[in-house]
Amino acid sequence: MSSRIGLLLRLAPAALLIAAAVAGPWLTPHPLDAPVTAPYGPPGGDAPLGGDQLGRDVLSRLLAGGRELIAMALFIAVLVTGISAVLGAVGALRPRVGRVVERAADVLILLPAVLGILLITLSWPDGGRFAVIGVAVVLGVPYAVRFVAGAAAPVAASGYVEAATAGGERLGHLVLYEVLPNLRATVLALFGLRFVAAVYLVATAGFLQVGPQPPAADWALMIRENTAGVLLNPWGVLAPGIAIGLLAVSVNLAAEALAPRTGPRAVLPL
Amino acid sequence: MAGLLRRPDPNRRAWRVVLAVVRRAVLLAVLLAVVFAAVELLPGDAATATSERGEGEAALAERRHLLGLDRPLFTRFWEWMAGLPTGDLGTSARGVPVAELLGGPFPNTLLLGGLALAVTAAVSPALGCWASLRPGGAVDRTVRGSATAVLALPEFVVAVGLLLVLSSWTGWFPAVTLTGPDGGVADPSMLVLPVLALAIPQIGWNTRIARAALADESRAPHIETAVLDGLPRRRILLHHLLPGAVPAIAIGVATSTGMLFGGAVVVETVFNYPGIGGVLTGAVTDRDAPLVAGVVALTGAVITGVLLVADLLRVRFTGGRA
Repeated sequence: MSSRIGLLLRLAPAALLIAAAVAGPWLTPHPLDAPVTAPYGPPGGDAPLGGDQLGRDVLSRLLAGGRELIAMALFIAVLVTGISAVLGAVGALRPRVGRVVERAADVLILLPAVLGILLITLSWPDGGRFAVIGVAVVLGVPYAVRFVAGAAAPVAASGYVEAATAGGERLGHLVLYEVLPNLRATVLALFGLRFVAAVYLVATAGFLQVGPQPPAADWALMIRENTAGVLLNPWGVLAPGIAIGLLAVSVNLAAEALAPRTGPRAVLPL
Repeated sequence: MAGLLRRPDPNRRAWRVVLAVVRRAVLLAVLLAVVFAAVELLPGDAATATSERGEGEAALAERRHLLGLDRPLFTRFWEWMAGLPTGDLGTSARGVPVAELLGGPFPNTLLLGGLALAVTAAVSPALGCWASLRPGGAVDRTVRGSATAVLALPEFVVAVGLLLVLSSWTGWFPAVTLTGPDGGVADPSMLVLPVLALAIPQIGWNTRIARAALADESRAPHIETAVLDGLPRRRILLHHLLPGAVPAIAIGVATSTGMLFGGAVVVETVFNYPGIGGVLTGAVTDRDAPLVAGVVALTGAVITGVLLVADLLRVRFTGGRA
């Protein structure tokens, strides 16, 4: 029982932070798009974190700036985990499919994710956030499939899966009813890791200004926009920086806590 | 080092080296084909991207012709691929050879990434070894905890933190990189913050890999024998554990190369470093896909090289086996 409480304690920081970011847009004390201080105004008065490059309230933009980042990262993590759970189980049952996925991962390791995002957003100018989501999924799935396939191999070789195969069950039934239910811990851990990776990618895309566009309130974009005035009001950069840092670290700790003790280790590049 | 290991059949080892080289070359060629296809098949091309407002269809068609965009896809692909080994990376959307645009910045990025890779390769195994000396002890827990904490941080967040603490508040290192007359970095102190910002997340990542590889290796029977023989811990670690863990550590560091290049693009923007980051930000504004494809080709080649070194280390440390 105490291990369950320990697990909850390690999941709590990430859950709290995500809840705060989701509720944040309703709590903003000032409008997001109107100046309340001088440009890069120092903290004080009714703007406890000062103003940004246009004098807009940093605290309000901080509260509003996390929801879309987290929503996109969650969406990517769900897609990557879902696709690779199925593909990984298929790969363990059908070695030929497994080998194709393995080769794809070997090729994609040569393409840094940031360059992949730039390449796709350039070739597909109207893609916007779908381009970022698309790249994150395409680049994330091969590694994730390896992770699932490694855990699924012993399950696929177990007696009851062989019995079901001999009983003439179709591949879809084997994947959904025989293999995946036994991989719940692996899939949950994978989801945590893919969420960490997705936060990294979405934030980096925001910083490179290929994701959300100004004047959107977005943590990564805030850092990019306010770096020039860092000496006048460091909070314009510090506050969103701390927010992204806390999000990455707390989600990563939660993913660690979910990982099965004896399962495959978390060896997948972001 | 090799004296510790059984010498395998030299022919078999040479064959494995050839196989590793060919395999990496084929994978790189496939990546380049995928990149070219992605640039070509997605909507929008260089001619429309650089067009002026109100420019007529005729002018667009003429620039398409100048850029060679009206020729068959396969011909262009073949010319691009055939040009790569000779250093011809194609033409940017503005009509300048890509190789010319990258000639100055790319070596700077290579220097930045190379230094960060060297720091990572030196620090991570050292931290992993230090933590391994007393498994479960205070050092072990601190090293593993902080490695886990930093490995997920985006580089630009680390960069901004370093910028505030080590530059704005203490004034120890310069906040921006100035370019010398030769196009390189004006002063070595300007490299410290960008290299740290790039290396810290990768050190977190690779320290975990090194620690795990050493833990796996410590379960091997010959280690148990060494412990029972009463050899000093340090000696067991350096002479018995570490050689066995080298292939896993090498693969880990090698896979960091891609992350370092991706991170370099971002970190260069923060510190105004004269590398490909600046070129790419310009390319985003110009929608210059051929330029980005050229950068991908170059980085892909560098990453292939580093992965190949890791492959060869594995061949060396495991001989013809496995």
